[in-house]
Amino acid sequence: MKTYKQPSTVGRFGEFGGMYVSETLMPLLLNLDKSYKKIQKDKKFKKELNDLFKNYVGRPSSLHYAKNLSKYINGPKVYFKRDELNHTGAHKINNCLGQILLAKKMGKTRIIAETGAGQHGVATATVCALFGLPCYIYMGSKDIERQKPNVFRMKLLGATIIPVESGSKSLKDAMNEALRDWIKNVRDTFYIIGSTAGPHPYPKMVRDFQSVIGKEAREQILKVEKKLPDYLIACVGGGSNAMGLFYPFLNDKKVKIIGVEAAGRGAKTEETAATMTSGTPGILHGSYSYVLQDNDGQIKEAHSISAGLDYPGVGPEHSHLKDIKRVKYFGVTDKEALEAFQTCSKLEGIIPALEPSHALAYLMKAFKNKHKNKVVILNMCGRGDKDLFTAAKAIGFDADE
Amino acid sequence: MQMNNLDTLPKKKILSLFMTCGFPTLSQSKKIFNEMLSHQPDVIEFGLPFSDPMADGPIIQEANKLALSSNLSTQQSLNLIKELSKSKNNTSFVIMCYLNTVRKFGVDKFIKSIKNIVDGIIIVDLPFEEESEIKKSLSKNNIHLIKLISPMTDKKRAQKLLKGSKGFIYYISATGITGSNKLDYKEINKNVKSLKKMSKIPVLVGFGIKSKKDVLEISKKTNADGVIIGSALIQKYFDLKMDINKYLIDLRKFITEVKV
Repeated sequence: MKTYKQPSTVGRFGEFGGMYVSETLMPLLLNLDKSYKKIQKDKKFKKELNDLFKNYVGRPSSLHYAKNLSKYINGPKVYFKRDELNHTGAHKINNCLGQILLAKKMGKTRIIAETGAGQHGVATATVCALFGLPCYIYMGSKDIERQKPNVFRMKLLGATIIPVESGSKSLKDAMNEALRDWIKNVRDTFYIIGSTAGPHPYPKMVRDFQSVIGKEAREQILKVEKKLPDYLIACVGGGSNAMGLFYPFLNDKKVKIIGVEAAGRGAKTEETAATMTSGTPGILHGSYSYVLQDNDGQIKEAHSISAGLDYPGVGPEHSHLKDIKRVKYFGVTDKEALEAFQTCSKLEGIIPALEPSHALAYLMKAFKNKHKNKVVILNMCGRGDKDLFTAAKAIGFDADE
Repeated sequence: MQMNNLDTLPKKKILSLFMTCGFPTLSQSKKIFNEMLSHQPDVIEFGLPFSDPMADGPIIQEANKLALSSNLSTQQSLNLIKELSKSKNNTSFVIMCYLNTVRKFGVDKFIKSIKNIVDGIIIVDLPFEEESEIKKSLSKNNIHLIKLISPMTDKKRAQKLLKGSKGFIYYISATGITGSNKLDYKEINKNVKSLKKMSKIPVLVGFGIKSKKDVLEISKKTNADGVIIGSALIQKYFDLKMDINKYLIDLRKFITEVKV
């Protein structure tokens, strides 16, 4: 394999990606791309971001050897890259800090964002509070209902939540509305996209800001194991935590990489979010990538118990990595994820978010009694506090008692 | 090759009417378009419904949703346009759609289906940077690729975009999505003037034009060659509590009014 160098200057990962937006947004994206290129070379920017990573987020996040879980699986040595320990409880803050610093540099005075599980919304509201910028979060009304703790968090942080009632009332529609807001308020507004989705330069920018996860993990594993991991596993919705972990390892041919999607009630059912298992290439939110769509190209509604994975698209880079077979993608059902959610809590004393519970479920299923003497890093990208009510309901526990 | 109606647009006071295909149902949609056609507007824009019309406002999104709720297919929309074209006379037919619809239908098949029926096409989310391939096939079939220009498009970029363009220029009057924000005539005039220096084709102003008054003001206060009315036409249907008969009467009244 040649050295991995994606995307192209116009935002192509192989054939995927690009900028499929109306002319109202095009000049803005080109300007954003230019500004982003400029700050990448800016040492002061880098220093500022690293300081925030260290002192505000609490980076580096630890690499925890999950001994009990490893024993239970009776397979490889499993390490958790613990980005759930970050300030705000998930990996999302890494990207938000990067983007808000950029917004500041560009002189923008108003921040908007979309959110599904609420983690990106919370992270955006957090950095807006820190930098004193007004914050507007678009969130599907279905997600507002199932992620109440995060809604309250965002409000405490001073953000305005704008409920989205259109379409499936979840992440996809929140992103449509946020894009509309941006078109309407182009002059003063910066749109912080939370995933490696959307038009160029977002997929690249978000990946770059998140790749601190993989960079740290690489150093940490080399220190404790004296070798690179044999496997990386992460959950994939839009794909930001996974790209963050995967990216610094893409040139390490021996490292096998696995992305786990939410299959909802099953990848072959209509109630799924397993875009790469069940989808076909199409255009959604300004980017060409795998999407769940019908024969006429109408985007289907996704389903997953995890609001963070409930998205009918996936980042263009994941689409590319699938097609060049560098990363393999598998689906895990709601039920399997819920089981893994409970097992991990009991065995490791770590309550994972429902998103990484999908990655855990795949690990427990596919590595059971296999791959002994191998080393796996799993991205524990979020903590489960926000999912307690959803999980309790699904498991049949009355949390109000 | 047949003539392209867009090449013989009048010099001034061009009226373009936008309507979503299959809205609210396929059979009622036909009645609506027939009503529109009976006024012989200069241009009719046919919106192909898309599940995620991110560059459109809530009104057009709602229209798309209604049209799609009865499982309207791209083929059915194209059949409708074909049928209506029998009575198009001098009216230019323009399709407005999102790229995924065209790609999924098949670019070649799509162009073949609209050849000699449709005069122009606006692919909302196909930026200049990505257009070359489709533009070539369109031009071979005498279909003009209509360009959107926004207030954010700077002069240098506009020049690049408009090089060799045909039909008309769709100038987005408000920095906003369809059917929102107020009109800033001064800014419109400034930008339209600048566009007219770059290109000989007519400049039509769209987005946010709601009434006869808006149409007159555009004509009086700016150098634009015409207007595009979309959301306002659809809004009326919802205002009339989705009563199609009342709507058709109202539509007739409204079009007569704006056809100055």
